Formats: sequence, structure tokens, C-alpha cells
Amino acid sequence: MSTQPNLDDANQTVFYIPFSGEDHDDDDSSPDVPLPQPLHTDRDLPEGQQLRLQAYAEAWRKCLDRIKSIIQALHAPIAADVVHQVHASYDDVLPGLPYPELPVITITNPSSSSTFLNEVAAQIDSPDLDSDALFDAPAFTTHLYPTDSLNISSTMKTMIAGFVDRSHILEKVKGRPATSLAPYDIEMLVAWYTAVREAYELKEAAQPKLVVLLHDFEQLDMLVIQDLFYICSLHIQRLPLVFIISLSSPSYPSYLHVTYPRSTLALLRVRNFAVPSGKRVLEEVLLKTFFDVGFDPDIVIGPAVLSSLADHFTRQDSSVDSILNFLHITHLKHFSSEPLTLLANSTPPSSLLFQPSAFKFLDSLITRMQTPPQDPASLPAAEWAPQSLPALVTAIDTARSDFRSRARCLRIGFRIIKLIQEFMKRQGYKGLDWNRHPGGLGIFDVMTDILRGTLGSDIKFLGTMVRKLRAGQLGSLLEELHGYFNSMPSELRASEQEARMKLVFTLNALPEDMEEDTTGVGSQLAGNFGEWLVGYLNGLIAPLEKTQLWEVWFTGLSPFPTELINPSVRSSIVSGLLRPHEFSELTEEDEQENQTDFSLWEYPDTSILFRRYLDSGKMINVYDWFESFQSVLEMQRKNIKKRLAAEARSRPQSPTKRAGKGKGKAKGKAVQKMDREEEDGEEDEDRLKLEVQARFMRALQELDYIGFIKHTRRKADHVQRTAFDLHD
Amino acid sequence: MDHSSDPLYLGYEQLHAEVSTLVASYPPPFLYINDTTSPRVSGAVIGSILEEIQNKQPGPSKRVHFARINAIACFSARLLYDSILNSLTRWEPSWNDGCANWHLEDDEQRWNENFDGFIHGLRAVSTYLRRKSTGKGKGKEKMSVDDEDVRLVIVVERAERLRETLPELMVPLTRLAELTQLDLTMIFISSVRWEDIRPPLGASPDPYFIDVPPPTKEIIAQRVTSKFPLSNDPSPGPYHASLRGLYTHFVSVLCDVCYPFTHDPQEIEYIAAARWPGFVQPVLDQHQRATEADMDLDTAEEDESRPKQLAPPSEDVRMRLSRLFNASLNTALEDLYPRLTNAADWAETHKPEPDLLAKHPGHVVKAGEAKVNAKGDSDGMEALPRMSKFILIAAFLASTNPHSSDLRMFGRGLDEKKRKRRARKAVGSGPAKIPQRLVGPVAFPLDRLLAILGALLEENDVEARLPAPEYTIPGEYTDMETSRVGVYTAIMDLTSMRLLHRTSAIDRIDGPPTFKCGISYDVTMTLARELGIPLNDLMWDPV
Repeated sequence: MSTQPNLDDANQTVFYIPFSGEDHDDDDSSPDVPLPQPLHTDRDLPEGQQLRLQAYAEAWRKCLDRIKSIIQALHAPIAADVVHQVHASYDDVLPGLPYPELPVITITNPSSSSTFLNEVAAQIDSPDLDSDALFDAPAFTTHLYPTDSLNISSTMKTMIAGFVDRSHILEKVKGRPATSLAPYDIEMLVAWYTAVREAYELKEAAQPKLVVLLHDFEQLDMLVIQDLFYICSLHIQRLPLVFIISLSSPSYPSYLHVTYPRSTLALLRVRNFAVPSGKRVLEEVLLKTFFDVGFDPDIVIGPAVLSSLADHFTRQDSSVDSILNFLHITHLKHFSSEPLTLLANSTPPSSLLFQPSAFKFLDSLITRMQTPPQDPASLPAAEWAPQSLPALVTAIDTARSDFRSRARCLRIGFRIIKLIQEFMKRQGYKGLDWNRHPGGLGIFDVMTDILRGTLGSDIKFLGTMVRKLRAGQLGSLLEELHGYFNSMPSELRASEQEARMKLVFTLNALPEDMEEDTTGVGSQLAGNFGEWLVGYLNGLIAPLEKTQLWEVWFTGLSPFPTELINPSVRSSIVSGLLRPHEFSELTEEDEQENQTDFSLWEYPDTSILFRRYLDSGKMINVYDWFESFQSVLEMQRKNIKKRLAAEARSRPQSPTKRAGKGKGKAKGKAVQKMDREEEDGEEDEDRLKLEVQARFMRALQELDYIGFIKHTRRKADHVQRTAFDLHD
Repeated sequence: MDHSSDPLYLGYEQLHAEVSTLVASYPPPFLYINDTTSPRVSGAVIGSILEEIQNKQPGPSKRVHFARINAIACFSARLLYDSILNSLTRWEPSWNDGCANWHLEDDEQRWNENFDGFIHGLRAVSTYLRRKSTGKGKGKEKMSVDDEDVRLVIVVERAERLRETLPELMVPLTRLAELTQLDLTMIFISSVRWEDIRPPLGASPDPYFIDVPPPTKEIIAQRVTSKFPLSNDPSPGPYHASLRGLYTHFVSVLCDVCYPFTHDPQEIEYIAAARWPGFVQPVLDQHQRATEADMDLDTAEEDESRPKQLAPPSEDVRMRLSRLFNASLNTALEDLYPRLTNAADWAETHKPEPDLLAKHPGHVVKAGEAKVNAKGDSDGMEALPRMSKFILIAAFLASTNPHSSDLRMFGRGLDEKKRKRRARKAVGSGPAKIPQRLVGPVAFPLDRLLAILGALLEENDVEARLPAPEYTIPGEYTDMETSRVGVYTAIMDLTSMRLLHRTSAIDRIDGPPTFKCGISYDVTMTLARELGIPLNDLMWDPV
């Protein structure tokens, strides 16, 4: 092949164009622009990034492990049911059925991905038949994915191969493929299964089930699956097949019943299992991760993050993955935005703190720890560093354990409030009105409130309700509370000794005959207890922000960057076009100038065109558009010339870099060209016109590509606008 | 013939007589059996007739060998050839043989390559079968070798599928006798008439038609009764021999209920299997109690206590049972015929309360009324995120309302004029217009969906949102919400769940994608109620 491609040669269909570097001649436009730096770098430790990464990894791993185990615990009972159902699918068949049915298990699983199905498959599948331990209930599994099931023969082939190709179960005997059964013939599976049974001398009861897992069932072709079920049901007496179907659509209306005809459904015995989904999952995860007395998360999420999470989960994406993503980003953000967070788990060795470069970090640290802040300038670093450094480390450690115990108290308080609320509900009272907001999120709102520290009125109300309880009711409430305290880990129980004493005293003081309380002892006790309870709870749920250095372990009111995971596409594009400079990376020079107001000629071509677009009516005359564009470019040329002349006078050495930013590539080139033109010292009108036209076309195409232009043939030389009323 | 007393042939005596006579004497080369109600049963009947003929000693007729294949299972030509040849020779491929097909011992010829090979295969099969039977005959009693000849019968069930899967084989299969020059009969069994699947241009010969009439109610009842799965266990159970009489009554009542809806005996058998255990449970309970009482008495008197035999229930008991359970038969039909649940689970959930017969009739809640729709309808949709629910409602509205009505339905002017729905015109001339809701959903572009979604959100979702003080212009928040990535993802998710149907091609990039709504009015209504949207006010043609 010649190096020079001959593009006119019709026989040559492929050309290889070797890569020869970037396609622009200005080498100095390479990205030496500084990347955006995280905030507060000035008061970070030199090893701060590394330390924070470690702290982050540990905190997140702890949180992730916890959530994973919670989800697993949620799934476990359903998985066990499914496994049991698979093994029992051919037992207890209802007598008198006209023909044997094909057992089908549907798993409605809208919230988590294929992990559940794989978990089930791992539990069902017997790796091999050789070991002696099995044979109570062996089963083989195979998987069918939408990509395998384009037509019935490939589906059958995949399914049969999934069983037959387990070479360690049964050696494959080579025959002449042409005169043997086709690989998509179910008779092949029958022959294999018969051979397996004979080879292992399986008893009738120990016949392995053949389990087929259909992934993403909604994506599978309906006609293909219909035939698959029909063919399998013809052989059901010889092949104990079981189908497990994974559905992501809701259980009602059932996809299977909506889509498949009655004739197919009549062949199946469908049993449905639903994996827990929706609000319940989030509630479970949050309660057991951030509001569980038995678990200490390194980072406590703040009310702002919590409410965003609850909102995102219930509104946008109710999957387990979305919870994980959300918490993951929260952790990342927390550790990357605040230098102090490297103290989250442990205090770094004093050798790290005791070096001159750590001064600013220590400075900010001490400022935070001293409340009210004193003037840090009055303490020269050299003076306080040697003697107070160990004290500082101790103080940090104390702050950490302080925060932990405060957070724990908060969790206990939340649990007690929840317990009393549930008790009230059970007793038939309205209790606290936890669903008060229209479209409110119930328990999530309460969690947010308690983290914000705005639950005072609720507690007061609870106290009032407790005060009005009858003696008998009070007795059972006390019993429940007592039970709750006893279920705590022992070291925590000890810390709540006082409360437990109070409970026991009140319980003992209750009259024997609770129902006929004539003496009024009961109501008096209830009154006392209610009062005590309000005080006790208010003590427990003191806001976390009151502890020292709380921002290390608590995300507080810092909002979650929702725009990162769920951006608004349209507004991003429009604001990108309207304010391109805010999206471009600023050079140092720009930062110095700190210019925020740009005149129209300073914008990239596409933005100029878009500005003009916004000024027009419903239909745009392309020629008028071009004229206006041309006039802006004219102005641009003049201004750049003026500026260059000014710069050349002041700094003859450094060429400008003003141009190389973001979408302004075209302009950058224009400037370069203009440079040259000036050097040449000639003004070629025609070439200029051509260039303006080319730049117009390019910008127009770009707008067209983004979708702002609709081509109609209604009016000559006109295009139609598609976006209106854009708020600036 | 004595065979016609076999319960399998009940209602199919005509078919049995006709087919067995034909096959045993001079069969036409191509038979077409049309059974519109239950081709599955017809297939079983034909199979059993042929089995019967094959097993008979060869009298004056020829030795018959047959193959019974299913057109759905044989979705490729190769499978069809393999199945017919293996089935004619009763050859079972074995794994240790490398799953080899039937072949002559010395020959490794391939029969399944094309139709030509198949014909050679059939001829080889015929020769092989003839040789086999003569060999057997020689060993036994030296029959006249010349007369011994074989007749091949090939039965194709669900033959209507051949037209889709193997259209090029339709004509040769129907002319197989001509092509092979063998004594061969092809039988197609189908629920479709021959006229509907006949190859064009008269290329196939006209078959010998046999139409199976739908069974009458009595026949169905007899068939179902005859299938009573008698248990050999002497202890009382739902299929105890003494309950047979009660079962007959039960089935006849059940047939009365089901006959207007289905004539398929297998369907009625299915429903009977689900209802019978519950129906007979009170009788068994009563017997159990009686036995226990007897045992108590017996132990006082004599040790030799024999478990009392379960006696057929009295007429009075039968009447009471009918009164108690007749209502539930309708429920069973409604649940089980469309297979909303399966028989075993239905039987489990509709168990009568224990000792029903001992209770006073006035106090008994009739089975069937007992559990009125225990499962709520909306619980399945609960898991969907709020935005997806809004999208579904918007999609339903976009699919049912005409697009020209959108501005009137959703537009809100400054003067807050009430939206005006089209005035219902008095019935004029011409056919009545069918509301769109009944015609089915129409496709709509994505933009329209988003616009309606915006209108719905603005009116029904504002209070439930997180506060966002940065949006000041009215409607700006909604505008941001509808253009978020999450909305597009949700639409794609719903499409993959088939709650929305994408009508435009995936790879088309110019122009907005179009969708259709995939949920019914009832489901939309439940969603709308949950979200507080007045759905009927927003529909152009309210229900």
C-alpha cells in the first residue's frame, strides 16, 4: 500500500492515516494550565493528601462492609426460599393435573442488579457429583442472557451447552457431528441426562434438577422464550427442568402475564418471589448504619446529605447501587474538602506535625480547638510547639472519643424516641405525626430533624403523652424500654446506668394491680417519668456541632453535590453557551485580571452565534445571522489588534495566551492567523471573508449538532429555533 | 371395537374409528386433522391409536410404524429429519455413542443434510424395518416373506407452525408418499384450518380432512370424571374411592360454570384439580372426627378397633357442600383460566376453614367470599421511584390524549381560565368514535412526554420537593427537574422494563425518539391516586 492514499481509487476501501501528533501548529497551547486545586490547600499537611486517602479508605471500607452485610441479610431469607423452592419443585405436585407443569420461579428484583441471582445460583449449583457429601439435593445451573437468545436455535444451543459442557461431570464422546444430533436438539440434553443418571447410579429421589436462569427477562424475545417453554414442557417427564426468571419490572402488573399468551402460561407453574425494594431498603440501611447503637461509623452524615439521599432515592433511583454511590461520594467529598479530616481515625505521629511545613495546619487546628478563638498570632510557633504538642495530640484524641460518645448518645436517643413512638402507635394513639409533610418521607424526615437538633417539640409532645399513660400502659412501656437497654452492648449499657436505674425504680414503684389504680400512684409516676424522660432525651440528642472539631467526623450542613450525579443536561448546555468563560480553565494571568464581565466579541464563535440566536424570532434568516456574526468578528479583529499593539508596547517578550481556552479554539487560531497576517503586513479581503464564512459554518453546525436548529423547508434561507425563553 | 371404551377416546370415538380403519386398510397419503378446541388431546388420541395398531399382530394389514413429532420442537429442517427418522426406528441416541443418529450398521451416510438425503433416509428406514420384521418373522413362524411390508405413518402436531419455521418444506412433506414411492401417510394435526396454512398455487395435494367437533358438556364431564386419580391408599384422602360419586357431581357443576368460557377438557380438569381438595376437605374432617369419637368409645369397650371406612357422603352433605362452594367455582375459573396463579397455590390459599360441616350454616362465611382480593393491586408499583411514576402517568396521557389537545389540557394562561374539554357532540351520523383508551396507545415523541411531565410536576409535585431558593422564576425548578439526566435514565429504565415501549429504532439519531405507553388505565389510575393527580380531569376522553 502506498503511503499516499489515493482517495479516488474505488477498489481501495480502507485507508490508513498514520497519527502524526496533534493537529495544530501552536505547540505552546499544551495544557500547562494549572488544574483546579482543592480548597484550603494552604493549611494542609505536606503528606495530607496521602493521610486523608488512608483515612477515607478505612472509613469507606467500614461503611461499605456494613451496608453489604445489611443487604445480604435482607436478601438471605428470600434466597433461601428460592433455593428451597428449586429443590422442592417436583415434590408435592397437586394430583389430578391434566399434564405436568414446568416449574418457573420469577424473582422480582427492581432495586439491585444481578448480584442476587448470582447469589442464588451459587447456592443452588452443585459443582460436581463426585463428592460423597451431596446427593441430597444436587442441581445444575446454566445462565441465559438476552445476547444469547436472538433466535430459538441459539437459545437452545446455549442452554444445552450450559449443561452438557461440564466436562468434569461426564466426558464428552466425540462422534461425527454430521450424523449426530444437532447441538440445539433437546434430545441431546436428554441423552446426556440419561447418561449422567446411569453413570452415577442416581436414585429417583436424588435426581439433579436442571436449573436455567434467565437474566433480564424483559429483554428476551417473547416468541423465542415461548417456544423454549413449549419445547421444554414436552420433555418435562424426562428432564426435571426449573426456570428462574429475573424481572426488573414491578410485580404488578406482572410482565409475564401481560406479555405471554395464555397458551404459554398454561404450560407453566409460576411462583413469584419479590426481593425487598423501595423505601424499606434505604430505611434498613440508614437505620442499621448510622442509627444503630451497635455500629460506630467513622463519618456521621449530616442532615443535608441525608435529606438529599432520601430525596434522590425515593424520587430518582431506588436501587441499592444509588445508595452506595451516594454515600461513597459523600465520603470522598468529606475527605477531600477539609484538611483536618486526616484526623478522622487516628492522630498522625508528632514527627509529622512537628515540622515547619505543618505550621499552617496546626495553626488552623488550634484555632478550631480554642473556643472562643484566641488570636493565634500572639503565639509564635516556636514557643508553643515543643511543650503543647503532646497536649494537642491528647486533646485531639479526647475530641474524637467525645464526638463518638456524643454520636452514640444521639443514636440511643433516636432509638428510644422511635421505640416510644412505635409503642404509642401500637396502643392505638396517633403518636407523633411523622408523616406530616405532604409527600414527606416519614422516618427520613425524623432522622434529618434529629441530626439538625430540631426535634425538641416532638420530645416535649412525647413526654406529655407518656405523662398521660395509664399505669398498665406505663408498665409495658417501661418493660420495653428496659428490654431495649438490656439488648445494648455491655459497655454502652454501663454508660446508661443512671437511666436504667430510673426505669427499674419506676417499674418497681408501680402498683401491683395496674388496672384498678385508685390511689393515683400510677398517674403520679407517669407524670414523674414523663418529665424525667424529656430531660433525659434532650440530654441525649444534643446537636453534634457542639463538640470540638466536629467537622472532622460529621458532614454537618455541607450540601451534597447533587448536580454531579444528576445534572440537568439542558441547562448545562445553555449556560455553557451563555457563559463559556466560567467553564474554561483559568490561566494565572486570567486569575490576576479576574475579569468577570466580557463583551460579546470576546466570546467563542458558537457563543456569539447563540447570543444572536436568542435575540431572534421563531424563524431565523441565516443570511442576517451571518451578517450580524460578521460584524462581531469585525469588532473582534479590531480589538485584538489594538490589544496586541498595546501588549507589544509593554511586554515585547511574552506572547499572549489569552486565547487558548475551552471552546475558544477557533478564536485562538484566529489570533494566530492574525499575528501572521500582521507580520506579512497585508490584508487580504477575500481570504478574510472566506475565513469568516468558514467560522460561521462551523459554529452553525455545532449549534445544529447540539439540537438548537430545526431545518424546515417552509421559508427559503430560514431555519427554525428550537429553544425559547431561556432564563439568562 | 372394545378399545373405544378407553377413557382417552371419550368423545373421540368417531376420530378413533375413522383413523384406525384408514391406517389399517388403505390410508390416503395425506390426512389433515383439525381440532380447534384441544389439539393436544387429539394428538394424544392419534398417538395411542397408532400405538395400538402397531402392537397388533400383523393380520391382513401391513406392519405399521409411526413417528410423532412436534412442529414447534422441530424448528429447523435438520431437527425435523432427525426426529422423524429416529422416531420411526425407535432409535434413542446415547451419549456414549456421541449422540449418533439412527444409521445402518455398516453405513455412515448422512440423512439430514437436505431433503434429498431425507428421502434416501426414509427409504433406508423402510428397508431396514422390513428386514427387521421379516427377520423376526423367520425366527418365529416363517411368515410369507413377500406379503410382509411396512407402512410408515408420520404425525406432525402443531402443523401450523411449519408455515413459519419451514415454509419450504410444506409442499414436499405433503407429497412425501409420491416422492419416496413408499407406503407412507402424513398426518397433520392442527388447530388451524388447512385453508389458512395451505401453500400457494395448489402445490400441495388436498388432504383427507377429519374435523374434530368440540366436545359437548356431557362428554367433557365424563372425560374429567374418568380421569379421577384414584388413590390406592385405603386411608381417607381426597381421591378415595368412595368419593367418586361426589366427584361426579362436583365435576358436572363445575362444567356448568366453565362451559360458556372454555370447551377444553384439560382446562376444566386443571380447575377441578385445584378446587377438589378444598371441596372435599369438610367431608374428610367430619370423617376424622367421627373416627376419633369412635376410637374413644371403642377403647372403653373393646381393643379391636378397626379404622372406620370412609363412606360416600350423603345427599344432604352434598347439598351443603354445593351451597358452600359453588360461589368459589367462579373465582377459581377467573383466577385459574388466565393462570393468574397456579393450581397448587390456589388450592392452598382457598382452603376452607376446618370442620366446616360441623358449623351452623348461618355462621359460615362462604368460601370464595372469604378472601376478597387479599393482595392489593398497587403494591407492585411501590418500588418505582416517584419520578418514574410521574413519567408513566405522563406517558399514559400522551398515549391517550390527542396531541392537539395538550395546550387546552395542560396550558395555564395568566387569566386562569378553566381548561375546556371538547363539548360532547350529540351522536350524529356515521359510526360512533371509539375512545382512544380502547383503541390502544399511540406513539408520542420524547419532547411531548417531557412537556406533559413538566406540567404534571408543576401542579402536583411542588410541595414535595427539597427547598431550592436559587430558583426564582416560576417554573424554573420544574424546568430543571425535567431536563435532568435522572429523567432520561428513568425513561430508559422503564423502557427496559417494558412499561414504556420504544417505537423508533434504537440507532436512529435524528429526531426525537418515540415511545408508547405500556400500562393500562387501571394501573395508571392507581398511580395517579397515590400521587394525588386528578387523572380523569386530564384525560381528553374521561372514563
